Amino acid sequence: MKNIIFFTFTFFLLNGFSFLNGKAPESSDQCFVCHEQLGGVADLFKKDIHFQKGISCAGCHGGDSKTDDMDKAMSKSAGFLGIPKGDDISLRCANCHAKKEMMQKYGSHLPTNQLELLKASVHGKLSTTGKEKIVQCITCHNAHGIVSVKSPASPVYPLNIPNTCGKCHSNAKFMQTYNPSLAVDQVAKYRTSVHGMLNAKGDPKPAECASCHGSHGIRATADTKSQVYALNIPETCSKCHSDAEYMAGYKIPTDQYAKYAISVHGKALLEKHDVGAPACNSCHGNHGATPPGVESISKVCGSCHALNADLFSSSPHKQAFDKEKLPECETCHSNHAIMPATKAMLGVSKEAVCSKCHTESKSTKGYFVAQKMRSYVDSLDASEALALKLINEAEQKGMEISETKFKLRDAHQAKLEARTMVHSFNEEKFKEVVVGKGLAVTTASISEAKEAVDNYFFRRYGLMVSVLIISVLSFALYLYIKQIEKKQASKIS
Amino acid sequence: MKKIVKSFYDYLDERLHLEDLVHFMGKKYVPVHAHSIWYYFGGVSLFFFIVQVTTGILLLFYYKAGPDLAFESIQYIMSKVQFGWLIRSIHGWAANLFILSAVIHMFSVYFEKAYRKPRELTWISGMLMLFLGMGFGFSGYLLPWNELSFFATKVGSDIAGAVPIVGESMKILMRGGPDVTGATLSRLFGFHVALFPGIFTVVLGIHLLLIQRQGISEPMHFEHLEQKEKKTMPFFPNFLLRDLLLWLVMLNLLAILAVFFPAELGHKADAFGSAPAGIKPEWYFLFMFQSLKYLPAHIIFIEGEVLGILLFGAAFALWLIVPFWDRKSARGEKNRLITYLGIFAIMFIIVLTILGWVA
Repeated sequence: MKNIIFFTFTFFLLNGFSFLNGKAPESSDQCFVCHEQLGGVADLFKKDIHFQKGISCAGCHGGDSKTDDMDKAMSKSAGFLGIPKGDDISLRCANCHAKKEMMQKYGSHLPTNQLELLKASVHGKLSTTGKEKIVQCITCHNAHGIVSVKSPASPVYPLNIPNTCGKCHSNAKFMQTYNPSLAVDQVAKYRTSVHGMLNAKGDPKPAECASCHGSHGIRATADTKSQVYALNIPETCSKCHSDAEYMAGYKIPTDQYAKYAISVHGKALLEKHDVGAPACNSCHGNHGATPPGVESISKVCGSCHALNADLFSSSPHKQAFDKEKLPECETCHSNHAIMPATKAMLGVSKEAVCSKCHTESKSTKGYFVAQKMRSYVDSLDASEALALKLINEAEQKGMEISETKFKLRDAHQAKLEARTMVHSFNEEKFKEVVVGKGLAVTTASISEAKEAVDNYFFRRYGLMVSVLIISVLSFALYLYIKQIEKKQASKIS
Repeated sequence: MKKIVKSFYDYLDERLHLEDLVHFMGKKYVPVHAHSIWYYFGGVSLFFFIVQVTTGILLLFYYKAGPDLAFESIQYIMSKVQFGWLIRSIHGWAANLFILSAVIHMFSVYFEKAYRKPRELTWISGMLMLFLGMGFGFSGYLLPWNELSFFATKVGSDIAGAVPIVGESMKILMRGGPDVTGATLSRLFGFHVALFPGIFTVVLGIHLLLIQRQGISEPMHFEHLEQKEKKTMPFFPNFLLRDLLLWLVMLNLLAILAVFFPAELGHKADAFGSAPAGIKPEWYFLFMFQSLKYLPAHIIFIEGEVLGILLFGAAFALWLIVPFWDRKSARGEKNRLITYLGIFAIMFIIVLTILGWVA
């Protein structure tokens, strides 16, 4: 009897608390009634959004939650499933989360393709044990204390995501079992980035892991469908950085993508699909993304344009730029809208970048050097154009000139070399490349092409002469035959 | 001048008894009739052969057989060697004109039934030279080692490989292995500059000897004429000088063709590259190539291509031995069937060549 009184008291007490907590299943969820007494997961479940939406334990674990008979409630006939393990966990979640009508029943407008995305993701494809995939829903969302992703308490709330991902990705021992070559310093680097520092200050807007890699459908960076695949990076970054409204509070421009897209780098990557071309992360870094400072720009550009950077560092411009605190490469080439380096940049015309500092009125040595360097390039261009014209003419006339045509490629090579050598800002060295190599080739090509064209006319004149000689000879022979035959005819008659 | 020539002639005559030869040639006569013009094509073919030998030897001074050197050496001949372009262009044009004049010569002999007894062997030797000429063309075509020649050789040897029983062995023999490689180039070079010229010279010697021995064939209607009614001209000097005149005209033609349409070189052969679009063999193989293309994949139980090759083989064999089965002509009777067959063959070759050309 005492037991009955105690049970009845407890039952009413618990139900009374549940009622006070909100919409939670009261007397109907007998699982919760008992498990709450045991503490642990039931305490976590109280804070769970599912609990608050009125979903009982049986929603995931099966069984009959309406009966207080434990044997009946947890019997196979009542559909009791127990603790789901391995891939069953995600399937159990998808039981509701993959069904639109079910989600709408609970007033949720969440997407219903999470499992589908997870299965296609690197987390859903790979396995360390061979029995189950690396990541299940609960790996990131927790099991019994699941709260809305918008709640700061959620492990997948923007401010918590770096640590949530870092649980595995910063764990060298765990990562070794799955991908030994993958770095484990992403979170550490992230904390040094502008994004990471703002995130640490409690700003949920800057990019965290999921902003760039996605959430459920994370793919390997080498996967062309990955948001961080080389070709997709500019677009991924631009989702935030080109959104003026989103970026309003950060006081930075939002035209980087537009400028990058028309740049030599952007065209190579986005139009020619050259994955070797630099994307945003090539200069800014990826996890540790930060704008390069004035002093580090040449190092960043120099990681690809090594020769140019070396030449610049040993040129007189290095000291001058440092003195004026001018960003090295950017001063002439700009940053995001880097255009192909044509000869228009060189010289003292209005379009030339040299004339930004070197003006005639100042009569600096640089002004005259720039003027001369431009004149060498102009001479090479004119000479190359003439050589090409003559080669084409000779080719059209059917002359064999392929060797000269091949040789002329060296002039183009000299021009490419000159583009690098210009960073030495040394007239003699530049002249050696443009005149010593380039003009020497074009001059020889012009001479050979002219010879081929002359040879063409020589052949025709030669033909005229030989045809004439042979024709005269033929006619003489014809007359001789006629003479002989005439003699023979007169002999016979 | 006359004195010097005479003393030189006397010097030679004393040692070689040239007078006998002049006497022999002086007794040789060439029939004169409505179709006498065709007699000259034998001489014209000989002229082109001499041109081929001369220009071929000159090219040999610079040509280097081998997949790494052949194309480059031709490029060198065309651009650096003095008159190299002219020699190569003349060699290319003379090769084509040789086949053309030899074919004309062959058909003129065929229609005149000049192959009839006692000239069966002259006909056979002439036909052998025509086949050898085609062999020269096929083997010489690969020597520049350019894209076109590489794939044309591949296609050509593939067709030869389709011949039942002996085809595969023939293909291997031609290629020097299962594929067209540097070994094929070395092999065809050997055929082109040593084997074929050697055989050709022997056959040509026999052919010329037979002509000198048997004299030039008279048309069939001459047999019904009295000796007085037969119009003739002395072989020496009349016919020989006329031949020489025609040779000069041909030399002019060669020079004009070589200057206005010089031999092209194209791109170097690349075994891994794709075959150029619309690849075709030389014009004298085109009628056979085109005929094989028209044949269905299977005819009853035999592959169309195989049947075509067998039919062409049979036709060439019959053509070769025509003196032995055309008994009527041998008896001096008219044989219209032979004439109609010849007209059909010419029409067939012309139509199929045109179709192949425009295809």
